[in-house]
Amino acid sequence: MKKIAGSGYVGHTQQSLRDLASQWLEPSRIPKKFRIITDTSEFIRIDYDDIVILDNSPFLIRHNQKEGRFGMDDQPKFWVKSAIDLSDGSKKIIKLVFHERFQARIGDLLIDCVRSPLKEARILDLVQGHVNFMHGYPVQDTASNIVRVIDFIPGQTMADYAFADVIKHEEYFATSFPAILREYIEAVMAILFLHRHNEIHGDIRRDHLLRDATTNRLRWIDFDFAHGPNENKFVHDLFGLGNILMYIAGGRDITIQVLNDEMPHVRSSIAEDDFNIIFHNRIANLGKVFPYIPEALNRIFLHFSMGTTFYYDNTEELLDDLIRAADAVNRA
Amino acid sequence: MENHKGVPKLKDKHIMIAVDESENAKAALLFVAGFIGGFRGFRATILSVLAAPDIDLFDSDGERQKWIADKRESLLVVLERYRQILIQSGFPKTKIRTELVVSDDRPVSSVILEKQKEVCSCALVVGRRGISKSEEFLFGSVSNALVHSANNCSVWVIEPTCGIE
Repeated sequence: MKKIAGSGYVGHTQQSLRDLASQWLEPSRIPKKFRIITDTSEFIRIDYDDIVILDNSPFLIRHNQKEGRFGMDDQPKFWVKSAIDLSDGSKKIIKLVFHERFQARIGDLLIDCVRSPLKEARILDLVQGHVNFMHGYPVQDTASNIVRVIDFIPGQTMADYAFADVIKHEEYFATSFPAILREYIEAVMAILFLHRHNEIHGDIRRDHLLRDATTNRLRWIDFDFAHGPNENKFVHDLFGLGNILMYIAGGRDITIQVLNDEMPHVRSSIAEDDFNIIFHNRIANLGKVFPYIPEALNRIFLHFSMGTTFYYDNTEELLDDLIRAADAVNRA
Repeated sequence: MENHKGVPKLKDKHIMIAVDESENAKAALLFVAGFIGGFRGFRATILSVLAAPDIDLFDSDGERQKWIADKRESLLVVLERYRQILIQSGFPKTKIRTELVVSDDRPVSSVILEKQKEVCSCALVVGRRGISKSEEFLFGSVSNALVHSANNCSVWVIEPTCGIE
C-alpha cells in the first residue's frame, strides 16, 4: 500500500492544479481556487470541487455516491466520492474510511458487520487484473486512513440487466437467460477465486454485480463488508450467490405478492417448504411457478429453500451444479 | 500397565466436553456430571474454543488482542467453574483437565475434532443450541458439523432440557 510522507503532496500549486484540470474540464467548470485536502478523516466536509491529494496524485471531487437498493432513497454516502483523476482525466470512485459497525438484518436474522478498509484494500491487491472484479488501489492519506481509489465502471447492475418485468417470463427465460447464466457462472468462478484465497466478498447482492458496458463482463464491486465469526465463513457469500441466481432465473424476485397479483392460480400450490430459507416472502422453488425451468436448475434453488435438508458447504459444489444446470438450460 | 497383583489396569474412558459461556454448554457439562460423575474409570477434558473474530473486525491488531485476552479471561473462569462441578459430581481432581484454544479463522468444530484426536477421547459432548433452520443455514451449527465429521468417537448432543440437574 502506498504511504504518503510529510505534507502529502509536493509540487502542486493552485496554478498547476488549474492547468491539470483544464486538460479535462471545460473552462467554465474549473473553480478559481481549490481547497486541497490530504487528510480525509473528516470526509463529510470534503465537497464538490475540492481536490484530494493522495500519493501526490490530485483528484477533483465531483459528488457523493448514493446508497444502493437497501439504503434510503437517494441518501448520499459521504464517504464515497466520485472524482476525476487530474493526472489522466479518468473517472474514479474514492472510498474514504468510515468505521461503521452495525447489525445487518438478513430476513429475520441480525448479523454483526463492519466496514473494513483493510479487507477491501487486501482484496483489491488480490484481484488486480481479474476481469470479474472492480479494480483500483489502496493508498494511505496523511492521517494513515486507508483510502481506496477505484476505477469507475460504466454499466448496469445485475438488478437492471436481468430484469424481466416487461416481457413474458417464458420468452425471457428462453432468449436472454441462457447468456445471462453463462456470464453469471463466470462471476461465480470469480467468487470461488476469492474463497480459494481464503477471502470473502462479504456483501454479495445484485447491485454489487455490474455488467461492464465496455467489456460486457460481470464485475463484483464493494468488498469492504466483514462479518463476525461463523462456522463456515463462506456461507454468506453462498447465500448471496443463490439469491442472485434465483433473481436472474425469475427475472426479478418472485414474491408472494407477485404471485397474488399476477399469478393467483399458482399461489395455492406453494407450500411453506417452497419459500426462501431466509427471506420468507420469496419463492425459492421457482419450478412450481415456471414449470419449464429445468430440474437441474431448480434443484439448486431448493438448496436455498425452507424445505432443504442439504446446504452447499462451498462454492465448488454450487459451481458444479450450476455448470450442469447451464447444460440443461441450453438443451431446453 | 499392571497393578501390584499383575492384573492389567483398565484404561480410563476419556470424555471431552466442549463448552462456551452459553446455557446449552452448561447443560452438556451438567449432563456429564449427572450421568457419570462418581463412577470409576472415566477421565474428562473440558475444552473451550475461543472463536476469535477476524482482524478485519477491529481497527488494529492491538484491539483484537485485547478482545481475545478479555474473552480468554472470562472463559478461564467458566472452565474453572465447570471443573469444580465435575469434582463435586465425583470425578477425581487428577482426572479432569481443562483446555482453552483460540481458533484463528477456523471452524470451531474442526478445532474440537483436532483436540479430540489429540487426547483420544471416545466421546465428545456438546450442548444443542436449538437454533432455527434459518439460523443454522446462515451461522452454521457446531453440533451438526461434529456429528457429520467425527471419526472413531461418539458425539453426544445434549438437549438443554434433558432432565439432568
